[in-house]
Amino acid sequence: MIASMATVEIEDGEEMVPLSLLRAGQSARVGQVVGNIELVHRLREMGLCHGATVCMIRPGSPCIIGLDGQRLGFRCDDLARVLVRVPAKAS
Amino acid sequence: MSIALEKSTWTIALVGNPNTGKSTLFGALSGVAQRTGNYPGVTVEKKVGEVVHDGRRWLLVDLPGTYSLAPRSPDEMVTVDVLLGRRDDVPPPDVIVCVAAAGNLWRNLYLASQVLELGRPVVLALTMNDLAEAEGTTVDVRALADRLGIPVVPVQARRGEGLDALKAAVEKAGSVPPPAPPRVFPEEFRREVDDLAATMDGTPRYLVERLLLDPGSYIVEGLELADAERDALRARLVAARARLAEAGFKTPDVETTSRYAWVGRATDGVVRRSDDLAPKLADRLDSVLAHGVLGSLVLVGVLLLTFSAVFTWATVPMDWIDAGFAALGDWVQATLPEGPIRDLIVGGVIAGVGGVVIFLPQIVILIGLLAILEECGYLARAAYLMDRIMSRVGLSGRSFIPLLSSFACAIPGVMATRTIEDRRDRLTTILIAPLMSCSARLPVYTLMIGAFIPARAYLNGWVQLQGLTLLGMYLLGIVVAAAMALILKRSVLRGGTPAFVMELPAYQWPSPVAVVRRMLERGWDFLANAGTIIFAVSIVMWGLLYYPRLSTEELAPLLDRQAQAESALETARSSGDEEATAAAAEAVKDAEAHIAGAQQRQSILGRMGRWIEPAVRPLGWDWRIGAAALASFPAREVVVSTLGVIFDVGEEVEDEGEQRLTQAVQSASWPDGRPLFTIPVALSIMVFFALCAQCVSTLAVMWRETGSWTWPALSFAYMTTLAYIGALLTYQIGTWLLT
Repeated sequence: MIASMATVEIEDGEEMVPLSLLRAGQSARVGQVVGNIELVHRLREMGLCHGATVCMIRPGSPCIIGLDGQRLGFRCDDLARVLVRVPAKAS
Repeated sequence: MSIALEKSTWTIALVGNPNTGKSTLFGALSGVAQRTGNYPGVTVEKKVGEVVHDGRRWLLVDLPGTYSLAPRSPDEMVTVDVLLGRRDDVPPPDVIVCVAAAGNLWRNLYLASQVLELGRPVVLALTMNDLAEAEGTTVDVRALADRLGIPVVPVQARRGEGLDALKAAVEKAGSVPPPAPPRVFPEEFRREVDDLAATMDGTPRYLVERLLLDPGSYIVEGLELADAERDALRARLVAARARLAEAGFKTPDVETTSRYAWVGRATDGVVRRSDDLAPKLADRLDSVLAHGVLGSLVLVGVLLLTFSAVFTWATVPMDWIDAGFAALGDWVQATLPEGPIRDLIVGGVIAGVGGVVIFLPQIVILIGLLAILEECGYLARAAYLMDRIMSRVGLSGRSFIPLLSSFACAIPGVMATRTIEDRRDRLTTILIAPLMSCSARLPVYTLMIGAFIPARAYLNGWVQLQGLTLLGMYLLGIVVAAAMALILKRSVLRGGTPAFVMELPAYQWPSPVAVVRRMLERGWDFLANAGTIIFAVSIVMWGLLYYPRLSTEELAPLLDRQAQAESALETARSSGDEEATAAAAEAVKDAEAHIAGAQQRQSILGRMGRWIEPAVRPLGWDWRIGAAALASFPAREVVVSTLGVIFDVGEEVEDEGEQRLTQAVQSASWPDGRPLFTIPVALSIMVFFALCAQCVSTLAVMWRETGSWTWPALSFAYMTTLAYIGALLTYQIGTWLLT
């Protein structure tokens, strides 16, 4: 329920969901990072920018994500929301 | 820019992301010849090394690890200024070595794209190839060099591989003109930068670019413009940004988009990654070490073992040091004529400095173990684990590393808070950092624990009661710090919980060289401190305890008593009565102790101590402990030397195996003969020292970092109050429980 509320349907049968909804081992491409402008820029500098592939290693808060060979510890909260593209669920 | 060929000294700057092995490479290149200091005005550590290559002197400058050359603080501006040759204290770099880890080349090349734009010769040192290959990533070095237009040299600094090739590449890069900067940004953006640069004579193009990209950066202030010019510049920047946004290049997003696009082009086909999705070794380790429950248990276990090891391993070298100082004292005692000078050297200098130097092995072992944990990548996992708890008290896991550094010393800990962006979070971390038990507290803990906590062992000797007590002291500081953070974030520093993003570096074996280097550095700092501040305080303390001497009239009855006891001893000896001899010997000792005690009470320190005694009595302390605590407000490790001076008054070493000061405090007593130190008293002293702000250097660093006396004053006030209350509760509750 919460998941469907947070998603935004976009083209090509994909939808944008918050990073925190990925399951362990699931990969997705970064769609958008929104939030505090400086924090967002810092995340983008570290590689968390549009089109990059992230992989959820350990879900939770904070979670561990895989990004280009590196592992980042990252707390998913309202300060910076990372939205990723996943295939839309057939409903 | 002139070619550096004819210069006799080159400056080589090392720049790179954190966790790329940059410092290891710096160490391998510069060997033992390196100095650390500070850049004036900021708290960036200035690391400089020297090496002679092919008859030319190379000045190596190691810059702090960074993900980006976008200065957001005066500290980050230092890196940019050094690289651009805009600082007076570092010559402009002739070659820049950009250190990049092969495992995540993308993110590393983001920084490289900025470095290349500086217009200086650049060599890319590719580190951690073995790790990357083990994880299925291979880099075609030659193709990468072609794409980037700069030399790329794979190095394994720990094994010394590739160093000669790197030096040769640096030599060559410095002898030819620098390559043309890459065209990273779109045409429209570059045109705006060119237009701006044309109006700003003498400002490097890279800074002009940054002006356009970073609203609110530190660069405008650093340009030394008149007010009107600055306002005009700001207006031009705003207009240029608006034009770029119109054209679809929104700042600052255009930077990351353009640079990562450039990186993508540069690495396309050069970096191959296997599609093997099997969990990596690191992830399997993390499934335990970063696990909420298991990982926390491991963390507690690791810290417990660390502190137990500090205690057990240090015993032997500590006995050596103690025996050495004892022998030195005996030698001086036998060589010099009796008088104040001999008393000063034996009772002041040797007892004072010796009492502190003895803790060198423990400090070095603790620093070494922490360095190993950091080197192998475990500390970042600890920070990750701690974020869950830290966010509860309004901080992020990022505050964990400064706080952990504070276990070694609060000064680097306070300085490490510069990585925390939010001012309130940074101030909160600074204010609670001195509550972490630093290595200077270790001497107090060790003395008290070694003397009064029974040496019981559990689980086949792996866990010891003494180690547990030590851990308890560390935990006390942590718990109080958490409570203080919570209070501060709800009162004077009200604010939400900060964000948390942190790289978890790959696990690797710690480099013995780096660990040993850290141990030596800290050990040397400690000795240098012992040689200066502690030396001076020891002498002052000795003087305060030695003068004024008892007058002849005051001394006469005491000496009479001593003479009587001695003649009684003679009589008993000649009569051959063993029991009477022992009793008489006891009486002689008593009389001597009585003279020493009277002299101490008479002294300046004794008077001061007795003046504050009513205040420390509820803590279970006598005037001597009170005076020692009072004397250690400038630097807390001084307490041990002061106790050494106060208690170690020419007493004989009875048991070779035991350390002299330990023995002295164990036998100290109240005037009525009760032992002075009981377990509650020892604990009360430890709690006081765990919580009290007894370090002038830390308060000074806090002042420098926060630019105001408010914060150090607040820190001093709240810590001293907490220390008193904590010690009071410990003694009162402890006494109540034990009776």
